[in-house]
Amino acid sequence: MMMLFYKAWVETRARFLLGLCAVALVCTFYLQQHAWLVQMWTGELRNPHGFHAPWMYTAIHEYGWYLWHFLYENYLQQVWSLFAVMFAFGGLIREKTIGSAHFSLGLPVSRRRWLVSRLSVAVLESVALSLFAVVYVAVGSRVIHQPFPSGEMIMHALLMVAAGIVLIAFGNFCYSLFPGSYLSLLITLVLLGVPYLLLQLYMQNMRDAGRSTWLGAFDIAHAMAGPWQLTWTTTPWLALCGASGLAILFFAVAAVHGDRLDY
Amino acid sequence: MVTTIIEAIELRKSYGTHEAVKGIDFWVAEGSICAFLGQNGAGKSSTIKMLLGMTHPSGGSGAIFGHRIDRESDSLLIRQKTAFVAEDKRLYDYMTVEEIIHFTRSFFPTWDSAFERELLQRFDLPRKRKIRQLSKGMRTKLALLLGFARGSHLLILDEPTEGLDPVAIEDVLQIVVSLAAQGRTIFFSSHQIAEVEQIADRVLMINRGEIVLDASMDEVKQEYRHIQAVFPEPVEARDFQLPGIESLQLNGRVASLAVSHNLASITEHVRVMRANSIDVLPLSLKEIFLEKVKARP
Repeated sequence: MMMLFYKAWVETRARFLLGLCAVALVCTFYLQQHAWLVQMWTGELRNPHGFHAPWMYTAIHEYGWYLWHFLYENYLQQVWSLFAVMFAFGGLIREKTIGSAHFSLGLPVSRRRWLVSRLSVAVLESVALSLFAVVYVAVGSRVIHQPFPSGEMIMHALLMVAAGIVLIAFGNFCYSLFPGSYLSLLITLVLLGVPYLLLQLYMQNMRDAGRSTWLGAFDIAHAMAGPWQLTWTTTPWLALCGASGLAILFFAVAAVHGDRLDY
Repeated sequence: MVTTIIEAIELRKSYGTHEAVKGIDFWVAEGSICAFLGQNGAGKSSTIKMLLGMTHPSGGSGAIFGHRIDRESDSLLIRQKTAFVAEDKRLYDYMTVEEIIHFTRSFFPTWDSAFERELLQRFDLPRKRKIRQLSKGMRTKLALLLGFARGSHLLILDEPTEGLDPVAIEDVLQIVVSLAAQGRTIFFSSHQIAEVEQIADRVLMINRGEIVLDASMDEVKQEYRHIQAVFPEPVEARDFQLPGIESLQLNGRVASLAVSHNLASITEHVRVMRANSIDVLPLSLKEIFLEKVKARP
């Protein structure tokens, strides 16, 4: 099994390193811009004709909220989601396209085992990416002399991964259904990315306006972000269960479909 | 007593409406070198892929080492004891020669490291080079090394010498023969008839998804004959409806027959038809192959 992990890692390590760079870039931007943004919002709030949004006061006074909102509720989450879906890209079906599937299938390894090793590495890389962000922000917060709420950030990172596993599962499911080279990746990113981003934006606006809609049930981005102050009781358990159930369903369908394929 | 290593019963495979393998029956004995001959698209690779669980049979059954080919758990046992070299020889391009050897070795407790080193030297493979930087011939040699060094009881080789130069082909054929001499069973597909004649002790010929010849090379050499007879007057096809006549070509007073068995009766029949001259010549495997392919349009 170790060699299967090794193979999956070698195949995805470039994506993983790219993911680390992207996460570092997003985190650096919001750490570096914190003082400037706070100054700008303060100026806006002081100006009676300036832009006033309800969240600006919290963002100025709560560094933890600032990190949660800009990283875990928005941009870090989006980058993480993009790379999590990309980590799941590959496996036997892709090998069928590039021609090495017969070599792989000639080894005494079941198709399920290939799938499990591949997805395990994708999940581990996704976890590592989220923890990297925590460490990066912790170090960055010290550099900009801000108190880093480590417990909260770790909780948010774990919630993002736990709810976000459904994205990995859906990505893998799409690659199984649309076998091909990079076209399947593109189809998956469009199928997943467009509704995810549109729904995230729409639901944030609805929440800001204090309204709710049945579409909230599909707001995976909100489930991944959770509420700012994440505790045992405020954890979105129902959404987590729903996402986990869906993930299991997608994994199961992909596995059954993979078993039936002819190579 | 002969032990059967590979067995196929009424094995069939359809892709949509196209029937690639039409219910074939064959078996391969332990320790033999069995050649699987056929044109491109005849059903060779589909059959091999079914044997190794890569494609699912549409009907019939098969077994290797007594394990059923259509069960995933059995298929794993088969692949533990079988070395497979695929037709396309595509490996993991991003690995080096050394890395893919290390990777493959980890799945086979019977891996023969001494043989691996010998083959690395014999094939002149650069250990540190990435597979994507290897020539087609080098990739084929590497794929063969990864198969040969597994220490498996059975080797299934799909077009093993494709892309190799004549020297390398000779080298590979010698290795195959030496492995068979150690008791390994070899099942290889090819359309290089000269290779088959050189090393195989049994030949299976497949054409359009059907087995058209299943015989030992000795049987092929002894029984297959070409009869050319010249008659005083023109003859007709209906005069040659005898068992054993595989094909017939008539050109006025001259009849050319390819015969698979029943040679004595056929020769006697031709003599009774008052042939002026009868020449009985051995048929090469290439001629048999061409006859078999032509005979079933």
